[in-house]
Amino acid sequence: MMKWVLFVPELFYVSMALVFFLFSLRKKVEQKLLYNTAVILGAVGLVVTVAFARQHGMLFFDAYRVDLFSQVFKVFLALGTFWVIFACSELRGVNPRQHSEFFMLISICTLGMMMLVSSAELLTIYISIELSSYALYLLVPMRRISGDLYVETGIKYFMIGVTASAFMIFGISFIFGVTKSTYVADIARVLPTVISEPAAIIGLILALCGFFFKQALFPFHSWAPDVYQGAANQVTTYIATASKMAAAAMVIRFVGFSGGESSLLVQLLITLSIVSMTFGNLVAIIQKDLKRLLAYSSIAHAGYMLIGILCLSERGFSSAVYYAMAYLVMNFAVFLVIIMVAEDGRNLQIKELAGLHKRSPILALTLMLGLFGLAGIPPTVGFTGKFLVFAAALEKGYLLLVIIGMINATISLYYYLIVIKAAYLLEPVNPYPPVRVDGRARAMSMVLIVAMVYLGLFPDRFVALTEAAARSLP
Amino acid sequence: MNELSTYLIVAAILFSMGLLGLLQRRNLIGMLISIELMLNGASLNFMAFNRFLAPEPAVGQIVTLFIMGLAAAEAAIGLSIILALFRRMHSINVERAQQLRG
Repeated sequence: MMKWVLFVPELFYVSMALVFFLFSLRKKVEQKLLYNTAVILGAVGLVVTVAFARQHGMLFFDAYRVDLFSQVFKVFLALGTFWVIFACSELRGVNPRQHSEFFMLISICTLGMMMLVSSAELLTIYISIELSSYALYLLVPMRRISGDLYVETGIKYFMIGVTASAFMIFGISFIFGVTKSTYVADIARVLPTVISEPAAIIGLILALCGFFFKQALFPFHSWAPDVYQGAANQVTTYIATASKMAAAAMVIRFVGFSGGESSLLVQLLITLSIVSMTFGNLVAIIQKDLKRLLAYSSIAHAGYMLIGILCLSERGFSSAVYYAMAYLVMNFAVFLVIIMVAEDGRNLQIKELAGLHKRSPILALTLMLGLFGLAGIPPTVGFTGKFLVFAAALEKGYLLLVIIGMINATISLYYYLIVIKAAYLLEPVNPYPPVRVDGRARAMSMVLIVAMVYLGLFPDRFVALTEAAARSLP
Repeated sequence: MNELSTYLIVAAILFSMGLLGLLQRRNLIGMLISIELMLNGASLNFMAFNRFLAPEPAVGQIVTLFIMGLAAAEAAIGLSIILALFRRMHSINVERAQQLRG
């Protein structure tokens, strides 16, 4: 077998970015043509990634590792990208002249994250995380609404992002110094033996900072609410779904380095997870803007996901992978409703959802199932995800952590129910116009509803898949 | 004190100066320069470890080269966002950009 076959999904996204680059050179591009091209290319990308999901091997002098773990995440990333592009039919929040650049940056960002989950060398990890971040730094300020908010959001995101990446590369330099290697496989072998040295543990924690920033975990969460609110709805969707996935994959890989030898690291992760859950859920209660509410809920969910990761067992890792997948589906369902209801690309207040069940029953149902999933109510996929994560933690004996997680899930139910109440029980003061739902959006909602319930009721095959993915970690 | 720790201390000082500058400065260009200082601290670490410890003498140098390249790209993106901010607000002071709260 030729070796370049392993690299086909990435090559596809490179050429996809090139196509949109050529589009952006033209003076005038018809919106319809651009959107259709994007949807077709996104769909082909998903098909290509799925078709190459069973490949495994090493590339580029062993700096690039294609295994089941990376391929599963690549499929999720391709799926997230396709959904985001699919929801871009109007794209009112972005200046029409920049639409081709928007799609180009989305493709580049996906490429960066796909390379990130496959990287098996510190320099490759650094370069691919920067590649995906740079595209996002430019996507965030691309919004066109009145006021100066969006540039402010862009500069905040940029400043916090580059600081986190400076921390990360500083930490990576210590890991390199202690283990004298940049290959992940060597580091995973050497690091557990030297983890008691302060330089090793400091290096690992600093390196994790870069990924915690992408995941919006507690000390690096401060960008999330502002960016969620300030960026265009579609960009927020992308950050909340695809970008979170890639970060979760890297946190799993990096925490796995320590090999469970360091109780200090585990204690630190437990603290971060508890603070992140509690802070996110408590602040979310007072939010009025739906996207801001979801930002705080995403901080809480990063905490839940960390519970699975800090178990440092195969079961824990596979539960975290499953949780990441569940989070992708649920979060996208909620954001799809936001994109559809806020037709002109504005920010959506919770009270604007009033009477949604009459204006568009299918969107209201999607919203309800998505939010029930985020809260962890059976039979949705979110319940299964939380169950697996907590079960993995109980197996390791972290009873207190699980209890705190349960209490937090109850708190979160309160603010999710506020949103559902707005959509189902409140009558609007002055009637809003009916929501325009075209056939595409209807099909999308159907798929999401079925996926959320099906994955919640019959998780066996997907759990087996995530377990196989966790086993293939080096 | 051996030579390696001298380099590491200098790198740590560079990194902390950058972090301090980033937290203290209110001028966006100043913040950008502070970030470059932090990255230089990391580069110095790589060079020092490479010189004194690594079995493969080229790895750290290559990483340093890549950090320099990425830092340049980062500065270009940062400056372009700062320019957009300046066009709208006629200021590059970060205090002026504080409308999102809560």
